[in-house]
Amino acid sequence: MQQGQHQSLLSEEDLASTILSDLKRVVREYATAATESTCPDIRQLFTKLLNNTLNMQGQLFQVMQQSNMYNTASPALRQELDKQSKQYQQTIQKTKQFLQQKLGNQQNGSFYTPAQQDQQHGNQGQTYYM
Amino acid sequence: MQAMTAKELEYIADSMSNEDLLIKQCAVVVSTATTPALRNICSQMIATHQQHYDSLLHAISHHQSLAPTQPQ
Repeated sequence: MQQGQHQSLLSEEDLASTILSDLKRVVREYATAATESTCPDIRQLFTKLLNNTLNMQGQLFQVMQQSNMYNTASPALRQELDKQSKQYQQTIQKTKQFLQQKLGNQQNGSFYTPAQQDQQHGNQGQTYYM
Repeated sequence: MQAMTAKELEYIADSMSNEDLLIKQCAVVVSTATTPALRNICSQMIATHQQHYDSLLHAISHHQSLAPTQPQ
């Protein structure tokens, strides 16, 4: 039995979803390939193809969304946002204390410069292993 | 420029298979879909995937002369 030339076994919605999934998979594969490349020119090639594919995936997603082919996930609740925001403000406070302990007064409460960091690494290395 | 690693060649070959499949899938959409926006984007994507395929193939030929003929 032969299919007509302009008929497909899958609906256009299913076809678009399949392509969208494949684009997402290819984005991941290009990212992996780029991070595991040794030759700079090959890494650059994979990085370029990664960006192009990411753009295509985004454009296809928008077309599908505008054509009502995609059910957008439900929005996060306000209280969940409040909870995560509060929790991660605490986390970064603790991390700042940790930095203060490890890097000491040299920081003076401001962010380090690369030159300071080198010095600190030297000092830190000594005290750490003694 | 340095010789391509075996791993890089594997990724390039796998990527060409991916691009090839995407070209064909987009062609099916262009020939069957009724939503104009979907047909347009898929027809643009065919061109981009073909460019990707060519770039990958070109990377292999570019490294051919540097590749050793014996296992090292």
